Formats: sequence, structure tokens, C-alpha cells
Amino acid sequence: MCSFSIRKSPNSSFIFPKFAPLLVRHCLTLPSLVPILKPPRFRVVASLSGTSWVSQASKEKYGGWALIEDEAPLPHWKSKKKWRNVVITGVGSSLSSRPIVSAASSTIDAATVSPPQSQILSTRRSLLSGETTASEIAKSYLSRIRLTEPQLKCFLHISENVLKDAQEIDARIARGEELGPLAGVFIGVKDNICTEGMPSTAASRILEHYRPPFDATAVKKIKELGGIVVGKTNMDEFGMGSTTEASAFQVTANPWDLTRVPGGSSGGSAAAVAARQCMVSLGSDTGGSVRQPASFCGVVGLKPTYGRVSRFGLMAYASSLDVIGCFGSTVADAGMLLHAISGYDRFDSTSSKQDVPEFQSQFLSVDSFESKPLKGVKVGLIRETLEEGVDCGVRSATQEAASHLEALGCLVTEVSLPSFSLGLPAYYVIASSESSSNLSRYDGVRYGNQVMAEELNKLYECSRGEGFGGEVKMRILMGTYALSAGYYDAYYKRAQQVRTIIRKDFKAALDQNDILISPAAPSAAYKIGEKKDDPLAMYAGDIMTVNVNLAGLPAIVLPCGLVEGGPSGLPVGLQIIGAAFDEEKLLKVSHIFEQTLKVSPGKGGLEEGTLVVLPLDDLGGGRGTLGGRFSMSTSFVLVTA
Amino acid sequence: MATRAFLAVISSSPNRCFITPRMIKNQASAFSSSSSSSALQFQRHSRKPHRISRSFSSETNSSVLQPPDISSLAKTARISLTPAEIEEYEPKIRQVIDWFGQLQQVDVNSVEPAIRADMEGGNLREDAPETFENRDSIRASIPSFDEAYLKVPKVLNKE
Repeated sequence: MCSFSIRKSPNSSFIFPKFAPLLVRHCLTLPSLVPILKPPRFRVVASLSGTSWVSQASKEKYGGWALIEDEAPLPHWKSKKKWRNVVITGVGSSLSSRPIVSAASSTIDAATVSPPQSQILSTRRSLLSGETTASEIAKSYLSRIRLTEPQLKCFLHISENVLKDAQEIDARIARGEELGPLAGVFIGVKDNICTEGMPSTAASRILEHYRPPFDATAVKKIKELGGIVVGKTNMDEFGMGSTTEASAFQVTANPWDLTRVPGGSSGGSAAAVAARQCMVSLGSDTGGSVRQPASFCGVVGLKPTYGRVSRFGLMAYASSLDVIGCFGSTVADAGMLLHAISGYDRFDSTSSKQDVPEFQSQFLSVDSFESKPLKGVKVGLIRETLEEGVDCGVRSATQEAASHLEALGCLVTEVSLPSFSLGLPAYYVIASSESSSNLSRYDGVRYGNQVMAEELNKLYECSRGEGFGGEVKMRILMGTYALSAGYYDAYYKRAQQVRTIIRKDFKAALDQNDILISPAAPSAAYKIGEKKDDPLAMYAGDIMTVNVNLAGLPAIVLPCGLVEGGPSGLPVGLQIIGAAFDEEKLLKVSHIFEQTLKVSPGKGGLEEGTLVVLPLDDLGGGRGTLGGRFSMSTSFVLVTA
Repeated sequence: MATRAFLAVISSSPNRCFITPRMIKNQASAFSSSSSSSALQFQRHSRKPHRISRSFSSETNSSVLQPPDISSLAKTARISLTPAEIEEYEPKIRQVIDWFGQLQQVDVNSVEPAIRADMEGGNLREDAPETFENRDSIRASIPSFDEAYLKVPKVLNKE
């Protein structure tokens, strides 16, 4: 093979590998995305061998290559000093945000690959040590967004102030001022969470161009702690959907396979973190809208206890279920973001006055773990979530995850939640009923798009008729039906009684167990368009998550394995459910799970330590860098034309 | 739009004012008989053939059950729909509402409804007006206004 290690012999001549154009096509999945290969820009491909985040099958299929892009011209690459100016942007396998392996493979061929590290903490370290600046990181994220957005479409709006905000952080560092815990952290915000002066549309035409006059409390807290809002992420209109296809503006692609959905409704937030377009992001979870996309995109999604985070500034969908949740590429990042936004808020009477513990002490380094770090933790595997109808790959990944927990010292037993299957219809009755009431505020009079008419009722009807998308209209109509006089008892009240039953079942299960586990969704990501016209098939996909919202409990989803599909496998998430306001235990268990998930390196088609540079002409300006934190566990070889 | 207004419309709509428990039971029967395909779809994912989704098809009386009338619901919800939309939504909404029907068979005797997850009370702030500073920004979002007033077309109260 015509490759060599840049570290060993940086001055040797570069050779263009014959397989490279083919490879680019594979990695980008869609033929139309194949770049025109011509100098002087360069595309970089890194070896997958030694990485754990791609299934063995895909490694064989693609000869063990991941796609990396660099906006720096080749001379930078010739210098050893500049070699870290690299951004991984390959679409498909190489976009995965963290090492993912099937827990199933942990027993065979296990090898130590460093566990995923918190981006929030490493950003802080490199800012404080002067290794990089917030402006540099900002430029790198912006250029990465420019590179990947045409394919992914995660964002509805990118903030104009990212660089300015980053410079502000740099100025604070220069002045020696104290830095907030989120200083220099780039955060995507779901479009149904209000950001002052920045478009906030909930992906609906009825709010197109709407710029709220205030920040949601969660956003305000993030800004106060130094966080930088990168932009607003795509979603299903008003949160009504499980695929992000119901956005009025664009369909977001799953970074693992561009022909698949990222999940939803917070699909943009999940995909943006998976593709490293931002470090962490905010989503909202009414019936699984943070957890299911986290599973589909292979990132961590955290749904806090109802009331833990203020809903002020979150556009209401179903008020009794809505919570703001967090995405990160590690449990620690999601947990630290949750800590930042939690707490009582006088503008939300349903926010809780419970103390917010310091989660950070739970995120110990893997070196400090005891041999059985979760000794005695009682884990209940929810029986109803593993019955037929659940994809067998998902089932086995969940069972392997349970074995991994056992290996960590947990006592795993099966528990039954008899009311489990009632959650789905109860959820949809409550959610559509509450939405029909909540969305009555969008009338075209005070904000949003107005369709002029001769009299007021016509103005309402036309503004709403043209402003809302199909799914939103249908849910409002269903909710209107369920709340109709005389039907109220039969539907809404009954669904609330079922909620009581579900809460009791969860309480009983959590009295006997510290945490409960289940899959996050019955399948991995499916194809765009697959379930678009079948509402019940789409709703059925929420079976794993809706009960948790009805019970108001906290839950986290984190990657636990891969199943077949897409160019490099598709991620599957494990859902861990905790007792109300006990996010601490949830984070502790999931952090240890994440950090100890054994990985199998496999054998790639090329030697470890291989890197290929291909000419590329479609890149924007600026130099790609991840602030020196580029941490793929391989060294590189340069090959070029 | 005022929620109150559309509630008023609902309560003045004579055909769905009163439903006796007996009628609800009949509805339930109709639900389960007419929703076999959707129930199946659901079962694919939720296994347990629930005690609720079985054996209620004997005394179906579909004349009692008022299936959702999309046009009138749209009017109540103040949403204009094109004929094509009505045609598209009607079967989907009916399918989902049939599927909701399975809740009718759950035994909820003496179960209190939960309006939301566990709540601590007493978090209400004092009911006192506060001035919002960023008024211009609020005003900038209003499609049509005149001085301190929102401008709307004439109000014809058909009700």
C-alpha cells in the first residue's frame, strides 16, 4: 500500500492512492456529494484501524478508512507542527461522535481504547492553559458547520454572533477574569426554545421569522455561564413527530447514514452533536424527543425529572409532559449541561425547588474506578420492552448492556410494568389534547405569520390553516375531539387516570430497584419517508419512552451498541430510568457504563496510522481545527496526488 | 385565539353535549371492532395482548358512536382546511381515535386522575404586575398595530 507514517518520515513523497476516489464516494453515501477532485484543496482520510467506533463489517467494506477534511492547504501538512489542524467530517462512520462498540463484542478481542472524554472539560482545560483560544474553536466549528450542513441540515439558523461571543471569552481570559463553567462551550438550541433576537420558530411556518423578545430561562442560564449559542436546530414542527421530517423547512439527515432519519422531534440537536457541529445541545422531550434521537444518532440524551428545568421560554406542546433536555457526546457533558440549566424559576410555577446536586463529582476518571464500581446497584430490566416487535439487534444490545452492568457489580433482575402498553394511547390523548389548547395562541394576531381576511374568525382560520403543517393540524383536531364536551371524561380524564396507574407501577418498580433499563426505541434509525404516512406506525416507535414522561421521571439514553445498517452500522441506545429528582444516580451509573464499555478494535484494511490527503475544491475558508483536541487514537500517514 | 371562545362553540354544539356511561361503553365496543388493523400494528410493538383490546365486539352499535367529523372539528379549532386536506386527514384521524378507544376498557374505578407528574405545591409567585422592559421587541413581532392597539379586521360574532 502506498502509504507511510508522517511521523516517521515526514519528508517522503506523497502518493495518491488509487482507491481514494472510490472511498470518498462510499463515505459520503450519496453519489451527488462526491467532490470534484482538483488541487489545491485537500481531503484527508484517516485510518479506522485501531478505532473502535466502526463495525468490523464496515471496516472490511471500506478498507478501514474514515473521511477527514482539512481546509488547510498541503504545506501545513508537511509541517509536523501543524498536523493537528484536522477536522473529521466524513459522513457516515467517521461522523460518529464517540467510540461506539457493541457491548456484545466486549468479551472477544477486547482491547483498551481510551474512553470518551468530556468536551466541556477539555475545552476548559485548553482555554485555561492557553493551548487554544475560544475564537479558534469558534472558527473551527463554523467551518465544520459550513462543510457538513449541506448534507445534514441540522440547523435552521446559525447565530451571527458566534465569533463575537468567542472573542468576548478570549478577552476575559486575557484580562484574567474568572470563567463560567460553560465558557467557550458551543451549544445548539432546539428551535422551540426562545432565544432573544434570534429566530425561534419551532420549525413552523406560523412562526417563520419570529424573533422572541426574551431568552428562555435555560438559555439565559447558559449564556450567564459563558456558553455560546451556535444556532437553532431543526425539529418536527412544535415537537410533533419522531423523525424531524415534520419540520416545515427541511429534513435533517442522520450523520450515520444520510438516507435515514435522525429521530425526533429533537433530531437537529442530536445530529448536530453526533456530527460535532456543536459540543452539546438543548432539546425538549415530551414523549421521548430527546432520548429517541439520541439513540438514532449515537449520542447521549438526558431527560430530566419533570420540574427540574424551567419551561419558561419553551414553546408549550403538552405542558404536563414537556421538559427541556440535554445532548452531549459523553454522559459528563450532558450532565454538566443539565446542571447549568436546572433549578427553580419564578417564571415557571411547575419548576421545582428541590436542590440541584453537584453532578460533577460523579464523573470520575476511569482510572479511579474500583473493580466492581457499581457493586450492589439494583437494576430492573423492564420485561415488556424486550418482547417481540422489538428489533432483535436492539434486544440483544440491551441484553448485552445488562450483562455489562452485571459485570460492573449491578444486580440485574427482570421487572414487569403491567401498564406499560397503556402508556402509548394515554400519552397521545394527553399530548394532543394539551396541544390543541396550547397551540390556540398561534392565531396570527400578536406574532408570526398573518393571513389577512375580512373578518376576525377568517383571519384566525386562514393564518392557522396556512401556518400549521399537516401533523400539527391533525393533532390539534384529535385533541379538539378528545376535549369536546361529553368526551372529556372518556378520553382526557381517563388518560390521566391511566397516568396515575403508570406512575404507581413505576414507583413500585423503583422501590425495588435503583434504576430501570430498557431500549430507547424498538429499532435503530429507519429510512427517511418510511413511516411518514402511517401515523400509528410512527407513534408505536415511542413505546419505550412515553411512559417515562407520563411518570415524570428522569431518564438517560446512551450508546450501547451497533446493529447492521447504513455504511458503518447504526447506533442503538440504552435507556436508564431513575427515581424522580435522582439524576445523580442516573448519571453515576451511566458514566461508569460509558467509560467501561469494552471495545474491540478489529483489523482495518490498512495499517494503523494511515492518513490520506485528497485534493478538494469545495471547502470554505478558514482553518479546520478542534483546538488541539483532535483525539482519534491513530497516528497518520499522508498520501496525496 | 381565545380558548374560551372555542369552548363556547363546543358546548353549544348539541350533538356532543351529553354522553352517558352506557354510551361510552358502546363506543368502546365500536372502537375495538373497527380498529382491528390498527390494533395489530400497535401490537407489533407492545406485545401483551392486553385485556383491553380483546372480546368487545359483540354489541357494537355504530349508530351511537359519533366518529370525528373533521370539518366541524376544524371549525371548532379555527383551522381552515382544503377539501384535499379533509380527505387526507379524515382516515388518519379516525384510525388514531379508534386506537384511543382501547383506553375505554381499562379499569379506572376509584383511580384519581393525575394532572401531571408529582407536584410540590406552593410555587406560585405573587400575582402582581411587572413591567417587561423589551416592549419594542414585542411590538416588532405584531403583524399589524396602531399605537397601543393590535389591529384586527371586523369581528362578526356568528355564535
